[in-house]
Amino acid sequence: MTVGRPQRLFAAGPARDPRFVVKEHWVECDNFPGHHPLHLVQFFHRQMNEEVDSLEASAQSIADFPDAPWELRLALARQCADETRHARAFRAHLERRGGRVGQFPVLNFQYRIITALGDLVSRLLIQNRSFEAGGLDAIAYGVGEARTRGDTELAEFYEAQLADEIAHVRFANAWIRRTLKDDPRTVLRMGQALSAAAEAFRIVMGRDGTADADYPAAVQARLEAGFTAEEVRVAADLAATVHAVPSAASSADRRAAG
Amino acid sequence: MGLTVKQRGQHVATFRFVEVRLMEILAAWVPSTPEMEVKLLFGPHIWDCAQAADALGRRTHELRLPLQHSLAPTAAYLDVLDAVAAAAGAPRRIAAIYDVMLPALAGRYRRYLSRTDALMDAPTVRIIEHILGTEARMIREANELRTQLPALALDDPDWLPRLAALESSVAELADQPAAPDGTRQAA
Repeated sequence: MTVGRPQRLFAAGPARDPRFVVKEHWVECDNFPGHHPLHLVQFFHRQMNEEVDSLEASAQSIADFPDAPWELRLALARQCADETRHARAFRAHLERRGGRVGQFPVLNFQYRIITALGDLVSRLLIQNRSFEAGGLDAIAYGVGEARTRGDTELAEFYEAQLADEIAHVRFANAWIRRTLKDDPRTVLRMGQALSAAAEAFRIVMGRDGTADADYPAAVQARLEAGFTAEEVRVAADLAATVHAVPSAASSADRRAAG
Repeated sequence: MGLTVKQRGQHVATFRFVEVRLMEILAAWVPSTPEMEVKLLFGPHIWDCAQAADALGRRTHELRLPLQHSLAPTAAYLDVLDAVAAAAGAPRRIAAIYDVMLPALAGRYRRYLSRTDALMDAPTVRIIEHILGTEARMIREANELRTQLPALALDDPDWLPRLAALESSVAELADQPAAPDGTRQAA
């Protein structure tokens, strides 16, 4: 763990087998432009690893919080299964296009940022309500792009992934709201978590990794995921004006998906 | 004589404890196991164990215990679970769960089925039959992965029999639920 800034922002990274080269900053990775022949292959590789990261973060939360309400642990367990399916699907798309596991460097910043947080509500806030909610916008955008290109198979996969991610954001939203209702002071912890995650995200992504990274808010998906109409409006405004927030993480990766 | 309602509840709550613990063990192993394919083996099995625990936990309420109630197994069986949790490296972890724990747990479930009243305890029977099917699939998936990736085969021939012996040395899973006549029966 040598990102080189306050250690509290990052936990140790998850284990990776020798096929993977793990980097710490976005700029150290292969970030091929949209016209590059390896662009889409690299995108699938990155998404595969990010889904593994999500699996690992959810699994770590199950292990770290044995006293969490059972319904929440059950939802996290389901998320583990879902993220596994997504990782397998991205691997299949990768290999179908001639790519291979370990072909490109990877980042594990999501796991490291999420599991650095010491309470479950903060983790749900960052993993599900920020990273994955940002993913809703990016996936919805990807669906449209894939359909425009005539890639029906990829569009259908994104649709299925979107449905799963909506469920993940929804259960997190429900638990966060419940926790806030029971203990309004939780909002202070949430604010600290957001600040820490945003700072960590900026360290990893830098300016290059977040520039032009936002997509229009996926209004319907966000509403289904339990955001209020006002929250969706704010997200839409932010997408137009702010780049360096955690929710841009998935967007940054998906930016060049087309 | 079959099991009383109270005994059924105790057994079901104990089985639930074990499924939750297996879920937690697999969850802890996902980030710390390097091989991606093994992470992706454990991932859905976390959910399988969770569903088993959830079904058992709903049944505990029907058997006049709290909803999602767990009872810790015997201290000896807790030692077995701790030994499994301490397994290091993908080959041992896979072997511990899929070669020892799940087959042995299936045997304990079957023993319960042989002892309970299949008519009056039919809801538990259905749950356990479903779990047995799921856990057979989990074992099959682990075996398929080891066939695809021979490097995941266990390279220490002495380790697995020791763990299996430790598990099988525990006759009773439930912590001595009392029979109506005051005797203690194995789970």
